[in-house]
Amino acid sequence: MTATTVSASSVAVSGVRKQFGAKVALDDVTLDAGAGTFLVLLGPSGSGKTTLLRCLAGIERPSAGSIEIGGRVVAGPGAFVGPERRDLAMVFQDYALWPHLTVARNVAFPLARSTRGREGRAARVGDLLERVGIAHLADRYPNELSGGEQQRVALARALAADVGLILFDEPLSNLDADRREQLRVEIATLTRAAGVTAVYITHDQSEAFALADQIGVLNHGRLVQCGSPEEIYRQPASAFVARFTGLAGEFPAAAFEPDGPGLYRVTLSFAPDVPVRAHAVAPLAADDAAHLFVRSAGVVLHPVTSPEGVPGLVRDVAFTGRGYEHVVEVGAGAALTKVFAAQRHERGRAVRVSFSPDACFVMRDTESGEVPS
Amino acid sequence: MTSTSTSLVTRDTATLPGVAVSPSSATRPAPTSPARRWPTLAWGSLAIWVVLGLLIVAPVVSFLLLATSPRLFQQGSSYFTLRYVREALSGTTGRGLFDSLWVSVVAAVSSTGIATLVAWLVQRTNVYGRRVWGLLMWLLLLVPTWMMTLGWGDLLQPYGAASTVGLPVSWLYGEFFGPLGIVIVLTTAALPFAYFIVSAALRGLGSEFEDAARIHGAGRLRTVRTVLPILAPALWSAVAIGFAETMSDFGVAFTLGYHANFPMATYTLFAAISNFPANFSVAAVIAVLLIVATIPPIVLQSRATRRRSYAVLSGRTRTPRRREFGPMARVGVTVGLGAVFLVALGAPVLGAVVGSFVRNLGIYAPAGVHFTTASYAAILHPTIADKSIGAPLVLSNQLGIVVATATGVLAYVLGRRLGAGRGGWGQRVTDVFLLGTVAIPGVVLGVGYIFFYNLSAISSHLINLYQTLPLLMLALTANALPGQTRFMAGPLAQVQPSLAEAARVHGAGRWRTWRSAQLPLVARVLVWGWLLTFTKTIAELAISQVLYPPSHEPVSVTIQAYLGNYQLGTGTAMTVLTLLEMLAVIGVVLGLFRLLAPRGWRRIGWSGVRT
Repeated sequence: MTATTVSASSVAVSGVRKQFGAKVALDDVTLDAGAGTFLVLLGPSGSGKTTLLRCLAGIERPSAGSIEIGGRVVAGPGAFVGPERRDLAMVFQDYALWPHLTVARNVAFPLARSTRGREGRAARVGDLLERVGIAHLADRYPNELSGGEQQRVALARALAADVGLILFDEPLSNLDADRREQLRVEIATLTRAAGVTAVYITHDQSEAFALADQIGVLNHGRLVQCGSPEEIYRQPASAFVARFTGLAGEFPAAAFEPDGPGLYRVTLSFAPDVPVRAHAVAPLAADDAAHLFVRSAGVVLHPVTSPEGVPGLVRDVAFTGRGYEHVVEVGAGAALTKVFAAQRHERGRAVRVSFSPDACFVMRDTESGEVPS
Repeated sequence: MTSTSTSLVTRDTATLPGVAVSPSSATRPAPTSPARRWPTLAWGSLAIWVVLGLLIVAPVVSFLLLATSPRLFQQGSSYFTLRYVREALSGTTGRGLFDSLWVSVVAAVSSTGIATLVAWLVQRTNVYGRRVWGLLMWLLLLVPTWMMTLGWGDLLQPYGAASTVGLPVSWLYGEFFGPLGIVIVLTTAALPFAYFIVSAALRGLGSEFEDAARIHGAGRLRTVRTVLPILAPALWSAVAIGFAETMSDFGVAFTLGYHANFPMATYTLFAAISNFPANFSVAAVIAVLLIVATIPPIVLQSRATRRRSYAVLSGRTRTPRRREFGPMARVGVTVGLGAVFLVALGAPVLGAVVGSFVRNLGIYAPAGVHFTTASYAAILHPTIADKSIGAPLVLSNQLGIVVATATGVLAYVLGRRLGAGRGGWGQRVTDVFLLGTVAIPGVVLGVGYIFFYNLSAISSHLINLYQTLPLLMLALTANALPGQTRFMAGPLAQVQPSLAEAARVHGAGRWRTWRSAQLPLVARVLVWGWLLTFTKTIAELAISQVLYPPSHEPVSVTIQAYLGNYQLGTGTAMTVLTLLEMLAVIGVVLGLFRLLAPRGWRRIGWSGVRT
């Protein structure tokens, strides 16, 4: 392999706003990603994550606010550095491979700004193609490759640039499930091995949790939470974040009362005798319309004879390889999805369901957000 | 405009035959350029509208206003009068409008019908020579109608080309010099437009629709009846464009129509300003009616396709299967297809080529027919003073190079703006304007130029271009621009914005981005667009006839002068040489592209087959 020395760039976004006519795509977004961080921007369609990435790339110019990359202001009042002078690379959602260039020449493109000689560049291209496993395709054209191979070319091109920051624009969204998993691992390992900072956008929370050192959740152009994957999962800042990062179910609380520091005892209408203990993201007032949010990891199925939990009825069951995922009806119209159990519970069978306090949150539902199913 | 071929591409069809550009799928609206700032955008729009205003809006609008308000430009005593409308609707001019209307309807419908059949045979069956038929369609597109008329005349006339080789067809001559001949020539002239539009639609129509119909119990006929309406937008587009093309055609009106005493609107318009005293107001009324006449087909097309989705192209569309004819049927269908092209292209070209070698073409020769190259020699030693082919052909080539280059640059700029997805009202206005101006006949533009640039306010106080070559160049550019822009807009829109963005992000400046990530993707479109405008400009007749400056005749005007002087052999020889020269230029340019363009460039955009 050709040794490369890359110093990762930190990213600082401060008060960035972006408007397209009357439409506000980004609204006062502020976040920091330290050098070498793998930052994932997570959000539904229209949340502004692509616009933020394009602002980082220099493809869009923020309407207000500033962006620093590696300590250098690249966008801000009176300053705008073009994309070609930001020293970054990008993997595009549609790969953006130039159809008139071979694989090798696509990968070599960013090397025009390197100080390597012709042989050095060729060696670098060969090395990268080896690393992504497509050295044998060097002379092919993009349209002669499969989707996964095209994605590898795009990844190699981004790595070829020897830059401190790589941007990823939903790079796995056009691939089938198997290839997604395989390439996700490759992106994670190769990017980290290169020692660069990465900003990666996706609407898939499992992809985000798998890749990120840090996750920024966006909704309606605003950054609604930023933290480690664990923080986002365990302490969602809002109902939207809780919903978007994966729930088994959500129920309106019939009543609630404090039950220790940061904990509440929540009564559900369909099981008034079995209160559920849950974390509170913020203190609740007595007259708040609160909801209980349940992660699938905190739901346990028991035989109907068990004294624990609330009564339920299995509506559906799906084999997932390592076990079974169930849909369990726990009240009139209220259901829990993706309830995992090592054993199969047949459809129509009565069960009991208990909830772990670690995976339950109670909070006011003041937000609405489009959450993909 | 409609006298150029390039108006065949509309937003519906999106891709041009042979010049679909790149692997593309607009997965998101095209982004704005990073460096676009409002002042830049505003100045860009302003510059574009100044150019369009001077090239098209001012000449055409001022001329059209004369129809009812001649006093605005000191052409009469009334600020508003319908006198010229009544005048234009009566007598020869009224008959010309009527003739143009019905001939155009017949030509548009028949060309669409024939083209649909040809397109289906070429695209969806195993008929022999599919590439050849496609190539012949391009040739048909390049041959102007006046050349076709000339070829047919040479072929059929007594002592013409056919009789010299023993074919007794001169009885057809009288029939041809009338509505029948006019309909035949205009139908064949409209054929390529319909063919390319329907072909594009057929290419996108995957076999799953046919399969679904057959699987659910439909027989062959019911399958056709089920699937055919999916092609409705393309068929309506073909009819609308065919109608507009034939309504605005000047070549047939000026040659066949005039000699057959079958007045057509474009000729009566020309006559109104050629006769003494010139009557610009009557010409303006005819111009208005010519433009208005193109509205109903477009409205009908719009109404027929409204509220129904015909979006059939998707990533899941399967490559259609070809209908496999048996050996006999395959030969039979191929012969039938050959017959269509024999009538459309073979007969007039053969007529012209053979006729150019006949001594005293069209004149009784008691000693028998002799073949000779005298007509070609006469070109070099002109029999009409100062009318050799050399200077006019050189001039036409110069015009062609300048006009095609200028049009190419302007059309590229405009096409990029039209292709950008996130356009505001300015883009929509430009789009509608260019769509509308495609329907303006060349002769209307030419007369508009005469009128506008001869106004004393312009010629005395601003710029005096009247009777100069620059004015002719400007008019030819204006004529070609709307169609050329629409020609390019589809392919340009197909180039994903992310390809340029990727280049910028990976370190390329603006120039390198354009050179390495844009130009290769559109090079073929630029070359074909240039060739189309170049060849159409060389053979252009309407504007050339109206605007050529004294002692600077384009070759089409010189040829008409010979034909008008009954020197058919010389005129025909000039026509053949001009046609050969056009084909040679096409061959040389395409050959150079093949030789010089990098391999990757040549892979892009050949009907999407390899992309």
